[in-house]
Amino acid sequence: MFRGDPAHTGVYAGTAPRQFHRIKWKFTTGDRVFSSPVASGKVLYFAGDDGNIYAVDTDNGRQIWKRATGGPAPSTPAVEGGTVYVCSYDGRLYALNAQSGALKWKFATGGERRFEAKGIHGLQPRNQTIVDQFDVFLSSPVVIQGTVYFGSGDGNLYAVDANSGELRWKFQTGDVVHSSPAYADGALYFGSWDSRFYAVDAVTGKEKWRFQAGEDPLIHNQVGFQSSAAVINGVVYVGCRDSNLYALDVTTGKEKWRFNNEGSWVITSPAVKDGKVFFATSDSSLYRVVDAATGKSLLREDTKAYVFSSPAIAGDVVVYGVLNGTLQARDVNTGALLWEYQTEASKANKGWVLTSERKFNGPLVFHSPWREAATVAVDRQFNIGAIFSSPLIINGIVYFTSTDGCLYALE
Amino acid sequence: MRVLAAFLIFSAAICNAAELTPGRWEGVVHIPDRELTVVVDLDRGTGGAWVGSITVVGLDIKGAPLSDIVMKAPEIVFSVQTAPPPRGLQATFKGKVDPSGMLSGNFIEAGNTAPFSLRKTGPPNVEAPPRNTPVAKELEGEWKGEYELNGYKREVTLQLANQSQGATAEMVVVGKRTTKIPMDTVTQEGDFLSLQSRGMGMSYEGRFRKENQEIKGIFGQGPIEIPLVFHRGAAPKTQTP
Repeated sequence: MFRGDPAHTGVYAGTAPRQFHRIKWKFTTGDRVFSSPVASGKVLYFAGDDGNIYAVDTDNGRQIWKRATGGPAPSTPAVEGGTVYVCSYDGRLYALNAQSGALKWKFATGGERRFEAKGIHGLQPRNQTIVDQFDVFLSSPVVIQGTVYFGSGDGNLYAVDANSGELRWKFQTGDVVHSSPAYADGALYFGSWDSRFYAVDAVTGKEKWRFQAGEDPLIHNQVGFQSSAAVINGVVYVGCRDSNLYALDVTTGKEKWRFNNEGSWVITSPAVKDGKVFFATSDSSLYRVVDAATGKSLLREDTKAYVFSSPAIAGDVVVYGVLNGTLQARDVNTGALLWEYQTEASKANKGWVLTSERKFNGPLVFHSPWREAATVAVDRQFNIGAIFSSPLIINGIVYFTSTDGCLYALE
Repeated sequence: MRVLAAFLIFSAAICNAAELTPGRWEGVVHIPDRELTVVVDLDRGTGGAWVGSITVVGLDIKGAPLSDIVMKAPEIVFSVQTAPPPRGLQATFKGKVDPSGMLSGNFIEAGNTAPFSLRKTGPPNVEAPPRNTPVAKELEGEWKGEYELNGYKREVTLQLANQSQGATAEMVVVGKRTTKIPMDTVTQEGDFLSLQSRGMGMSYEGRFRKENQEIKGIFGQGPIEIPLVFHRGAAPKTQTP
């Protein structure tokens, strides 16, 4: 499932390559891909904006099956007990046979929508509701003891019977839930775009505690949880669009520390290993490592462009994608850049979205807050082979997807 | 013989490049998968020096002043900077006029290079850059104000002074940190005072209220607009041009 385990630690067995050798294979879909790949046995599963759920052979990148949903599917599947669970923008959770792709059941939520607000990010008209172009992911399901948990654009966290698809309970928040719930010790931990972070009992759906993060009534830019939490050793680590990375007590929800990123969103879901928290930021474009106990900064490296991709750790290598179309691998301990892979679309740099240093070319991309200019700008930005997915690392192979429509296997 | 041949080829190259004359030049920059429509006005200013302005359709750039205009036959070079990077467009055109009258060459921006081609379409109409006006004597000196953003209070000091080229202004915002905001444009029209910092994307527009000895207006920080009222902080200092 998303981030490797129900607690979303982002840590994988084995080690990632310390050198880039070659593309093992590349699998092309019909549209952009934001979903991260997951694996069960020798099969990779992911979903695309072309509305399909895919099963692909890890060895050769050949398609085993695909299954159409009723909308784009920027959701990372969960695979459990021979079933693939994944959300689609048609407002449904799909349960598919992992071997054949056959539909087992689908569950209808109250309907999907993206986060929206009046004059969001300072766009005009300021008194008109505008959709947030950066609300790119759908919630990724988590499956625990026969129940599937996932968030929805209707503001609910749902608990659905994994076998029958029947509703067990739902928990209403104040806005869109597109983060993936983390599970630990009988509770689910997740944030909503209402800028609150919740702990909910996994059996009853009753609230255990809630934590209020920052709000931004002026332009709704510094508000909401898009990041999914990691839960480890009694602490919840989660990023927020209010520019903080939070460490919360798992029992009480009390803040242990916060790390402020000075206005830069933390969309990535943090990885946690050996007493360190690994995450990256958007506008400031930084890869950061902080002490898990204190929040003190340990490492700070320039990624050159926004990072929405959650870091994945295998051995002494951390890997994450960047919106400029590069995949970066760094030494876990020193932060040194070990290798980089750049997608062909990024190299083509259509419309000069990037500078020659692969930073975003602000004057040519974001030049106007009026009408469709921002939508066009974001579309251009996303079309250069940007990597939103969290890499999956198995047996020294790095799997990731890109907005160029491809699933890659690098070794 | 080879030297002579090289000389002849070089001479031919020079002869094939025409001299640039004042005018309006229109055309496109051929960025991969995107064409920028540009209008460049180039003219001789007072003293014979070249002056110019540029409009780039679709990038919200209208009549931005050209800088570093160098005509060193056969090459013509000029630049534009709408605001300091990374906010503003900072680009350079390097080209030549061919015998057919086409001005073509390379457009260089953010380390990327693309070809451009412009054709003369008429006489120049260079836009003059906005100039600072003087401010009234009673506005000179130090003003103090404060505003709140995201729950944090900021204290603001504004210094206004008249110089020979018009007024200057500097704003200092003290919150969690101290930020100096140099203002590029300072204008007073009647009671209205307008300040703009293109580099920092900040602005202030306020109305002077003589009876209250205050400037009441709106501070703009990117897309955010916040009410900000200035009161007298200290007696106006006498500025010498």
